Amino acid sequence: MNSVIIFLIVTGLILFLATTVGLLRFPDFYSRMHAAGKGDTLSSLLMLGGLALYEFHEINVATLLVGAKILLIAVFIFMASPTATHAITDAGYESGVKPWQKEKTASEDEG
Amino acid sequence: MIWQIDLSVLSLIVLCGFATIMVKDLLSAAIIFGAYSFLMCLLWTEMGAVDVAFTEASVGAGVSTILFIAAAYQTTRIVKPRKSGRIFAKIVALAASVAMGLVLLAAQTNFPGFADPESPASLHLSPYYITQTLADTAVPNMVTSVLADYRGFDTMFETAVIFTAGLAVIAILRRVKHIDRCELPDPYTISAGSQDNIIRFVSRQLVPFMQLFALYVVAHGHHSPGGGFQGGVILGASFILLAITYDIQLVQQRMNEKWNILLGNIGVLIYASIGFICLLLGANFLDYSMLSKILPATDPVMARSHGMLGIEIGVAIAVMAIVVTIYLNLASNGKLDKGL
Amino acid sequence: MEYLVSHYNYWVYILLMMVGLYAMLAKNNLIKKVIGMSIFQTAIIVFYVSTGAKREASIPIIAHGHGHDAAHTVIEAAHYANPLPHVLMLTAIVVSVGTLGVALAICLGIYRRYKTLEEDEIQEQLHDSL
Repeated sequence: MNSVIIFLIVTGLILFLATTVGLLRFPDFYSRMHAAGKGDTLSSLLMLGGLALYEFHEINVATLLVGAKILLIAVFIFMASPTATHAITDAGYESGVKPWQKEKTASEDEG
Repeated sequence: MIWQIDLSVLSLIVLCGFATIMVKDLLSAAIIFGAYSFLMCLLWTEMGAVDVAFTEASVGAGVSTILFIAAAYQTTRIVKPRKSGRIFAKIVALAASVAMGLVLLAAQTNFPGFADPESPASLHLSPYYITQTLADTAVPNMVTSVLADYRGFDTMFETAVIFTAGLAVIAILRRVKHIDRCELPDPYTISAGSQDNIIRFVSRQLVPFMQLFALYVVAHGHHSPGGGFQGGVILGASFILLAITYDIQLVQQRMNEKWNILLGNIGVLIYASIGFICLLLGANFLDYSMLSKILPATDPVMARSHGMLGIEIGVAIAVMAIVVTIYLNLASNGKLDKGL
Repeated sequence: MEYLVSHYNYWVYILLMMVGLYAMLAKNNLIKKVIGMSIFQTAIIVFYVSTGAKREASIPIIAHGHGHDAAHTVIEAAHYANPLPHVLMLTAIVVSVGTLGVALAICLGIYRRYKTLEEDEIQEQLHDSL
């Protein structure tokens, strides 16, 4: 059980790191929102799942309640975070942000 | 009290603080300020101040950010540099802040060490509150019992201050145009606000759960972090969510201006009248143990717990109404017709 | 070294207060000044809350007490964080959001009247009208 918890939390951390690197390195607003929205939601869900599993080490009413509350937070993040990403991307589209086009370099033109 | 987390969160807080005043765009400054508030909330949870962290998360990171965004929406997003005297202003301001910093640094040499259990703040009055709160009031959450019972006067005047702030915002901003109530168009066809079905659907589904959670926070404030303020702010935030995804007209149909001011009044009135009832029953103002005479089958200790619940309800109603009022007036610049 | 470890947090709070004061004095835009005021307020709140923290202490909620049947367990003051600063700072946070609302309303009123939020342009218009 402990190894599953460690695996979930560490995977969540690595995905958070990947999200941050993607947020900094992607060339365009839309691809950055892709990285931020998906990576954020999945990493949060994995880490919350690991924390909820940690509560179930000993099963009694109190820990079941705490675990259930953590899982409810996970459901809320699952609903609200992609919607927020969708809202930001929509706002960018309505304001006229153009998607990134790969520039044609001189060597490609000749070749 | 892990000092590694403390130090890293503190350095991130300082970074966010620098970033939010140096950025050239007001919208970005508002969002970085939201991140600064969330980091503060994390710091306070790590120090053991869970009630303060809950309040900062709902009030500071939630409502303050949206108030800044509404103000930037109604004015301008661009920050222009000073036309002349730029260096002089910066040097004077830097000198003043460094002078204040040096004075404070000289003063802090006498402070007790961080997280010391023997510091003078923890030795005189607070052990009484910590050890006696269960015996006196039957409320396990010490912060709620001190806030609502031992220091009830402060909380009553704080609620009055919130109500006055709402009145001040109305007095400064409100521009009344006499419109016939029947002329208000159907809010589902107004084009301001998001047109998108996904966002509207999800926010419509989330709002009842937010309000239920807010009522839970108010009612469970005796046993867990929470209480009147946090629950009231979450209730107000649910209305703000509706106003953002639909339109201000929709919120006006449910919580119009008359009801906002009435509910703000009723909140403070509930608080003061519970205290007054205690006065009528023969005890001091806001001494809830006398409520055991009119509440059936309670002894004076449980009566204090019930009295605390009553005033928390009053505080929640007042805070909800005032948060909605301040947002509606800021987002529509006083006209209450369309806005953010 | 011992002094450094036990007092570093006060220096960070003083740094935050200096940042807030600098923003209030030096910035041209009125809303930036309001942001500086908020930073100053939260720095003071952090300072007060940190005086209530205790090493190896739990949150100020008595865990096993529901109702008055738990009155026989001994409650030690050193096991719980000091609740008094938390209460005072709760009031401070809520009052600060009220003050923020009024400050932003005043900024909107100024923008309505002078059509700008920059301090030097407002002072120019004030000098011109005198």
